[in-house]
Parts: sequence; C-alpha cells; structure tokens
Amino acid sequence: MSDSRNSSSRSLISSIMNPKFIMVYATVGIFLVIYLFGAAAYGSKGFTTLRTFTNLFIDNAYYGISAVGMTMVLITGGIDLSVGAVASLTGMFIAYGTSVLGLNPWLCIAFSLVVGVGLGLLMGWVIHYLNVPPFITTLTGMFLARGVCALISRESIEIKNETIDALASWKLYFMQFKDGEWVRIRPSAYINFNVILFLVMLLLGIYLLQRTRFGRNIYAIGGNEQSAKLMGLPVGRTKILVYGFNGLCSVLAGIAYALYVKSGWNLSLQGAELDVITCAVIGGTLLTGGEGYMIGTLFGVLLKSMIPALITFNGNLLSWWGKIATGLLLLLFICIQKIVVSSTERRNSRTKKTKKSKA
Amino acid sequence: MPENNILEMRQIEIQFPGVKALDKVDFSLRAGEIHSLLGENGAGKSTLIKCLTGVHHKDGGTIILDGREVQPQSPQNAIELGISTVYQEVNLCPNLTVAENIFVGRQPMKFGQIDWRTINRRARELMRRFHLDIDVSRPLSYYSTAVQQMVSIARAVDVQAKILILDEPTSSLDDNEVKLLFQVMRDLKAEGMGIIFITHFLDQVYAVSDRLTILRNGHLVGTYNIEDISKVELVTQMVGKDMDTIFNLKRVNVDKDAPYMLSARHIGIPGQVEDISVSLRKGELMGFAGLLGSGRTETAEMLFGATKIANGEIELNGKKTDIRKPYDALMNGMAFCPEDRKVDGIIGDLSIRENIALAVQARRGFMHPLSRKEQNDLADKYIQALGIATPNAEKKIGELSGGNQQKVILARWMATNPKVLILDEPTRGIDIGAKAEIQRLMLEMCEDGVSVIFISSELDEIIRCSNRIVVMRDREKVAETDGADCTQEKILSIIAEGAQSAGGAES
Amino acid sequence: MKKRFDLSTLMRSKVTWAVVAEVLILLVCLIVRPDFFTISYQPSTGMLYGNLIDIVNRSSEITIIAMGMTLVIALGGTDLSVGALVAVSGAIALKFLRWDVTVYNTPGDYTVSPFFLVLVVPMLVCILMGLFNGFLIAKWEMQPIIATLILMVCGRGIAQILTNGKQFTTGYSPFRVIGQGSFLFLPMPIIITAVVVALVSLFVRKTAFGTFVESVGINRKASRLSGINAQMIIFIVFALTGFLSGISGLIYSSRIMSNDSNNAGLNFEMDAILAVVIGGTSMTGGKFSLVGTVLGSIIIRTIVTLVYYFGIASEATMAFKAVIIAVVIVLQSEPVRNYFSKRANARAKLANGGVK
Repeated sequence: MSDSRNSSSRSLISSIMNPKFIMVYATVGIFLVIYLFGAAAYGSKGFTTLRTFTNLFIDNAYYGISAVGMTMVLITGGIDLSVGAVASLTGMFIAYGTSVLGLNPWLCIAFSLVVGVGLGLLMGWVIHYLNVPPFITTLTGMFLARGVCALISRESIEIKNETIDALASWKLYFMQFKDGEWVRIRPSAYINFNVILFLVMLLLGIYLLQRTRFGRNIYAIGGNEQSAKLMGLPVGRTKILVYGFNGLCSVLAGIAYALYVKSGWNLSLQGAELDVITCAVIGGTLLTGGEGYMIGTLFGVLLKSMIPALITFNGNLLSWWGKIATGLLLLLFICIQKIVVSSTERRNSRTKKTKKSKA
Repeated sequence: MPENNILEMRQIEIQFPGVKALDKVDFSLRAGEIHSLLGENGAGKSTLIKCLTGVHHKDGGTIILDGREVQPQSPQNAIELGISTVYQEVNLCPNLTVAENIFVGRQPMKFGQIDWRTINRRARELMRRFHLDIDVSRPLSYYSTAVQQMVSIARAVDVQAKILILDEPTSSLDDNEVKLLFQVMRDLKAEGMGIIFITHFLDQVYAVSDRLTILRNGHLVGTYNIEDISKVELVTQMVGKDMDTIFNLKRVNVDKDAPYMLSARHIGIPGQVEDISVSLRKGELMGFAGLLGSGRTETAEMLFGATKIANGEIELNGKKTDIRKPYDALMNGMAFCPEDRKVDGIIGDLSIRENIALAVQARRGFMHPLSRKEQNDLADKYIQALGIATPNAEKKIGELSGGNQQKVILARWMATNPKVLILDEPTRGIDIGAKAEIQRLMLEMCEDGVSVIFISSELDEIIRCSNRIVVMRDREKVAETDGADCTQEKILSIIAEGAQSAGGAES
Repeated sequence: MKKRFDLSTLMRSKVTWAVVAEVLILLVCLIVRPDFFTISYQPSTGMLYGNLIDIVNRSSEITIIAMGMTLVIALGGTDLSVGALVAVSGAIALKFLRWDVTVYNTPGDYTVSPFFLVLVVPMLVCILMGLFNGFLIAKWEMQPIIATLILMVCGRGIAQILTNGKQFTTGYSPFRVIGQGSFLFLPMPIIITAVVVALVSLFVRKTAFGTFVESVGINRKASRLSGINAQMIIFIVFALTGFLSGISGLIYSSRIMSNDSNNAGLNFEMDAILAVVIGGTSMTGGKFSLVGTVLGSIIIRTIVTLVYYFGIASEATMAFKAVIIAVVIVLQSEPVRNYFSKRANARAKLANGGVK
C-alpha cells in the first residue's frame, strides 16, 4: 500500500516538474507578467475588465482556430504556409456564394470544407509520397488558393445573408446575480460563436493529441520519423490526416473571419500563416517537431493578441510598433527556449554520465 | 530439418544494383534458441535481417514462419507477423516518455481514450523485469543510451513476438549492462522465444549462443552448434584467412629520451572530467583503457579542443599552447578521429575526395583552395595507401562500408601530416580484416615519428599496440602502466577495484 | 568509357528537369505568340526590348537574393527575412533621397546627402541585419527559420519607423539608373544581376568556400571537428544574403522611385526559396547549384509572363503559377525521377544488348 501511494505521489510531482512542460510554464508566466504590466499601466482605463479579456478571444478567434491545426502540423516537424490563403478562400466562397449567387450559406460552408480538407489531404500526400518538402508544397498550395480567390473576384464582397448575420451577431453575455435578478455585468462582456468554435476546436485538439493514438503518432513522427516507421506506426496516414485536419482548421478559421468582418476579399489574411506560426512558437511549440501543447498555443495566441490591445490602450503608439514588439517577444521566447533546452541538456548529460560511471 | 523450427529461410537471394547481396542463403531458427549471425561487414547479415523485417524484398527463395510461407512487406507487417527487431542505433522517439515508447501504436484504450494509467503501470512492471527501476513518465532522452537500448528491447518483447532480432545491441553498452542484457535474453529464451543475435564481439557469441551461422560475401559458410567450433576456426571461417597472419602486429620501440610532443597538466572541466595529466613522447603510442563513460572520450575531446578546457594547460612540442577549438589543434599539428564516425566524422553527401581533402583545406583556409588536381592526387594516394575499397574517388563517403569510412577519416588526418594523432575507438563496429589494417597503419605512423593516442574498449587491441597504457575510471585517470608488461587481468582488476569502491551498480 | 553519355544520371539530375520545364514553357509561349522571341532595338533609350529580356530583367531582384538563399539552403536553413530587408533597404535609400517639397518646388536632381551614402548605408544596414541572423544561428545555434522569422516580423516595422510610416518619392536621376537605366544595350538590373551572379559563383567555386558550406550543411559537428570554422561560414553566408537583399531593395525602389514599407519585397523570401528548390538544391542542405537557382528564378518569371499572355488578370496569375510550379516540383520529386532514370536504364540496357 505505502509503496503504491509513494509511487503515485512521486508520479504526480514528477509529472508537474516534468521538463517537457517548462516551455508552457514560460508562456503562461510571460503572459501573466505582461497582463500585470497592462493592469498596472492601464488598469484605470479598463484593461482589467472581463470585457477586455473576452475581446482578446473575440478579436483573435480565427487565429486561435488556425493555430490548433498548425500546432499539430508543427509537432510532426512540418509546416503549413497555406492556412491564410485557404481561410481567405473560404471567405470568398461564402461571400460570393451567398451574396452574388444567392446560395444557401450552409452549402457554401460545406463546399469550403470539401475544398479545404481536400487540399490539405492532397498536400499531405505530396509531402509524404513524393517527398517534396512541406515548405514548398504548402507554399504552392498558398499560391493556388490565393490565385483562385482572385479568379472569383478582386473586389471585396460584403456578406448579406440572414443566417450569417444571425450567426455573427449571436452573443452570450456574462451575467451576474444582483438585487434578486440576473443582470449583465458592467461593462458588458460576452462571447460569440467564433469564441465557442475556437474553444471547441481547442478541446478537440487536446483530445486528439493527448488521448488518441493518432495524436501520439503525431508526436512520435516529430520525435523521429525514421524510428516511427520502424516501430510500425502508420506514418504516411498520420501525416496526410494531419494536413487534412489543418485544412479543416483553416476553413473554420476562414468561417470565423468571415463572421468577424462580414465580407470576403481576395487579399484578406495576407501573411496570417506566419502570425499563426508565431503564436504556436510563442506557445512553446518547437519548429523541429516533437514538442508542443495546445495549452501553450492558447496562451501564445492570447499573448500575441495582447500586443495590439496594449497599443490601443496606450493610444500614442503607432501600429508598426506592434510588429516590432511581436518580433521582440519572439526573440525573448527563443532565448528562454534556448536557455531551458541547454540547461536540461547539461543536466541530462550529467545524470547520464554519473549513471554510467556508477553502473 | 525436423525439430521445432519457427523460422526457416531457404535459398534466399537478394540483388542490389551491381551486386548480389545474398546468394542462396539458408537460415533456420528454433523456438527457445539464441542463434548468432556472424560475418564481416558487407557479408550480408544486415541484408538478411532486413529481408526478414520487410525493409528489403527478396528476389528469390522462401521464408517459412511457423509452417506458413510469408513475405514481410514492411516493418509494420513484420511486427504483425511476430518478428520484432532491436537495432544498433536506438530506434525510438526521444521526445516521448519511456512508457509511451514501449506502447506507442498499440496503447490500451478505455472509453475511447488512451489509458495512461495502465500504460505507465505496465511499463513500470516491464522495466522492473529488466531490473530497471526508473521513472517511466520521463522523456526517453532523459536516460542513458544503455537504458534506451533496454527500453527498445522491452518494446520488442512486449509485442508478443515469436522472433526477436538483436542487431548489435551491445556496441554501446558496458560490461554490466551487457550481463543484464544476457540475463534478459536467457529469460526470453526460456519462455520459448527465438532470438537472432548479431554482434562483432566474439566473446559474447560464446557467452549466450546455442548455434551460430556464418556468412561471407553474401554466401552461407555454415551453421554450427556453439560447442563444435573454436574461436580461431570461427574467425578463419569469417575472414577466410588465418587469424595469426592478421594480428601479426608488434608494438613500436620508442627511444627513452625522445622529446615530449604533447603534455597535458591537470586539465579538466568541473563536473565532467577533472585533473588529467598525460605526457606523450615522439613516436609513442599511448592506449586509453577504461569502460564506456569513464572519461576517455572527454579527455580526447579536451586535448583536441572539441570542448574547451576550464582548468590546466596543454603543452605542444614543449610550448604552452592555447587550444580552444579544433581549428587551433589542427593548426598545431594535431589530428582527431572521433568516436562516433557517422555523427562526428564523415560528411556523408560529399565525395571521398572532398572528405579526404577537408582538413588540409581547413588548415589552408577557404581563400587558398587546393586545386582539383591536388585534391585528386591526395585522394588517389590515400585510397591506394590505405586500401580503401571504392571504384573511384568521386563516390559519396556515405555509401561506403564502416571500415572504409574509417579509413577515409584516417586519410583526412594523415594528409595533414600530424604530429599527434588521437584515435577514439577507430576499430569499433568494423570487421576483423579492416581492424587489423587500421592497427597496422597506426603502428606505421608511430614508426614515422607520429605520437598516437589510441582509445578502445577492446583490451587485447590496446595491449597489443601500446607503449604505455592509461587506465581511466569514473572520469579520472587512475593508473598509467608500461605496455610491454601489462596483461588484460591487470587492467581489469584496476577497473574493477573502482567499480567496487563506488558501491555497486545503481542502474 | 568515363565520358560516356549517361542518360540515367541525367534523368536523375534536378537541373535537367528544370531545363526541360523552362524549354516547355517557352515553347508554349511561342505557340501562343509566334513573335514571343522577337527582340527589337530602341535607339531613343539605347536599349534592347523583347519578352526574353523582360523576363530576365524582371527576375533580377529574386535572382540576386536567391544567390544568397542558395547558400543558406545549402547550410540546411532558410532565410525568411530577405523580403523585409528589401523594404528596409528601400526605406533607408529614400530617406536619404527624399525630395523635400517645402524647399524645392519642382522635383529636381536634389539629394540631401552625398549620393554614395544612398547606396552604401542601406547595404551596410542589411549586412548588419544579416549578421544579426548569423549571430542567432551560429552563436546561439537557433534554427534558421525561427531566427530569421524575428527580422521578418520586425523588419517592416523598422522600415516604417525609419520613414515615419510615410511613403517618399524621388526624381533623382542617378538613382533611377539602378533600376531603369541601361548599359551595353541591356537594362541595368540585368547587368547588376550578371555581375552579382558572376562574383558569387567565383567566390563560391573558385575558393573552397562552396565546399565548406556544403560540408557544414551536411554535418556541422563533423565539419567543426575537421577544423572548419563553421560559425564563420554561417556568419558570412547570412551577411552575404543580407547584403544581396540590400542590393535587391535598391533595384526595387529605383524601379518605383519610391519606398513602400508594406509591399516592397513582399513574398520575396518565398519566391527566392522556390527558385532555389526548382533549381535543384535540396532543402535538407548539402550540395547546391547556383546555375540551377538562376534557372529557377527565370522559370518563375517566365510562368508569370506566360500567364500575362493568356490575358489573365495579374492577381490570378498566382493560381496558374501554382499549377505550373506543382507540375515542375512533381517532375523533380524523388519517386518520379527514379522512375524515369530506371526507364532510361532499362532502355540503355536494351540498346547495349543487355550488357552491363
């Protein structure tokens, strides 16, 4: 009895202290530091309200949704540059389909899903079976999706559709119990369909990565693809499905973005793929593959979206400082990563050596 | 062929572009048997194994597993058929936990979710069976190569395999770890598993095998019961030559007053290796003996500047010299063949010519390139002098066999005309013929006045060649003896003393 | 014997397939417009005109950057910051050149600073930025793609800060020469590109630098242990790529005589990487081909030109570009090349009467 209790408490401590979570802790830590800084500097302007916090989600849900898929792709050791273009294409399909052709919005969404997931699967197939580097394959995918966007229309198309309007304006307010009745909290804070979609995808991502064989195969492939093959894991199928899933995320991100801006434009979300990758990297995902957590990605998205929020609250800074701040954040993060990795490596090599010499 | 053969491979043929890798080879394996597969590099051992594990596809012959004819299509397929393999390099995922490495791809599920609790519990039980009490929820990269090797064996065993193939699993293990592995192998044998064991260490063959099969140049030489063949006979069969002529090597005489070429005083890096002092005379060969991880490699790396020393000083040719990076060592007439030739030695995609010219070029700097003719001359000279087996100098070094790769690395350094040459395990993982040749080259260089430091795990090698022997243990230098009157037993007792005083094995 | 024409090796070379692709695309161009290859001389400008010249001219910026990118990729990395450096280079040049309306009423030949500063400072800044990338990669051993992502994100912000977010224009004619002038009947960018390609090739192939780059790209640790100063090689390669991005930025801003921090050099990193890969250099590092890269860059531009000739709107060219690039890449992919080389082998064997 005592032995089992002992080992279970040991496993609890060791799972908390497990070096693999350090990067996630770092992300959360930096997020808290910056949040506290914002609270100290702009607390009086309402930075600490729930509304500011929910706005972080509302304004960046589409990044978050895409980052869920991107995290998986990055864990396999791949990269997907097509996500912005595919999301933009989805917006075009919905806008053109509903507003110009007068189609049912659900039909447009279904069509987008088929195209987005199909393109993802195709890219995965090319990457695995034709051995073309992911960077090049998905870059071509990006050109293709952007090109098709431009073929549909080069003007921004406003979305005028009841279903879409209803979906976009649906809000769930935070309530509090006051003076015997439920009232909205002040200043009012709410979440919308996009936020719920983001959270659902995030939970799905966590489930897939941590609780299914598919997810664990993703980590194994990122750790060492050759080994994964020799261990008899379905490497090809997993890789293709990951790109397919990322295609799904891109389409959903595109839907969220369309709901957010209520229009489709062929040049929307330019460069979004690198923003999404930045979010994942700030969240502790390694571009070399094999490491990364959805929770980290969540905080990565929040961290990155807090920069424009802070700049807005400041009011005097010009928008390009946002780019520089993001770059610096990235640099800071990579430095932390570097320090953490090298210190664990040093400790590992030391424990390894003492083990050996004692054996 | 009566008996309980679980595996029979008959008249296996495999054709590679240009060569017949296997020519009508027969092989059989009984249940509850450890069967060693022997042969020099390129004899066809790996090819035979890869044919069985579905990496290569046979061009002729039949494979009968459990009375049924099979043709493994892929590693995955081979595992499904009950054939598990443990490779020389650990083929696991360093980022996954120990437990997960054992179960990935076949995790127990509960309510549509992976049952982590069961995975960790079963992994802990399994590792205990291997006499290892470790935290299975740590990433694999956290543990030493030996533990990693055990984990890969645990995985191979746990898939309910009928046949276990161990492809040189011992080359990175020390003696105690090898013993532990043998214990596990015997346990599995008792459970009725058939084990195919490949190794270059003949002592190990005799320690565990029941039968052995010898291959040479893609042909079957024969299958023997272990009692029926002596070691000498075995080697003769493998090489096709007589053993004495191969090892007819003698150590070089060194002038007692020869000047010191290299002296290191109290060099070390805190936490790694500390307080090492060695002095090497011109033309002398100094052997470094000790277990893996005893600090031999670390010392060599410090001397060459691969890692920067924190304390102490190095004198070259009587002058105090600051060696901070390999380039400094190179400029001061030193040369270093690293332990892990694949990772630290060869530039796989470059040609033999480019690999040989590399260090000379590095010394000249890239602004003073060797002409193509100079490179060709250099390459041709050493291909001939070292007997590197290749059609021409433009072949990629990555496509050569291990022994030939080692010769190319040696040529790279010989071309710089070094005064001090450090060789870290130059003979590991290469066949006996190439081993003897490398030792001969080493001794020839000593004759020419080069001072050599020779690191090896095989004591007989060290004793045969060295003028003086340094024994390392627990990251310290513990003894230095004369090579002429040293015996294996003496070195072993020095190493063993330390192992006892350290208070038993931790593993 | 040695010089025997070996179809099988040829089929396996990526550069071969790049040549085939370029020839095919040009053939299609010729069918669509029979006068495609016509080159005419315009005495008033002293320049030759024609589609072929235009293709080479317009590919200049990418070709110049791709020279550096080839070395970066040979080292096993990628440099994502080049596009942002193009913007920075243009921003600095125009900052020096800006025509100040308040002082001068007509756009004349006016520059605030000595002209050579206009050329030298942007390049120096770009070299410094390249060195920053090199520092992160060589000293801190960061992954190139991440290290250069930093400047890719920051770079345009820096360009905007330098110009206060404004777009300057200039009419200074010596500056115009860089992008719109001519020399020896050819557009100036072609001349500059030719010089850059020649110098880089000489530097890389006539010294041992190219071999060292390949060596470090294949196995950095082994290279270091062989006495190669791997860090220095990395520094030089990234500084060179920064420098080349600077030149490219000057050509770009001279073409539009203005700076555009948002759009200058947009997606140049992608096009440059694509050019290198189409040119036959593997993204895993190692052996590289500068000639292939030049070819790759020209292929990309030829595709764009071809699509114009089909009369398709410029934004939609991307879709066709993607399709054609996809075909080229699939043709170059390992399984396909192996298939063709096997076929060639079999045919050769048949031709030789089955003798090996």
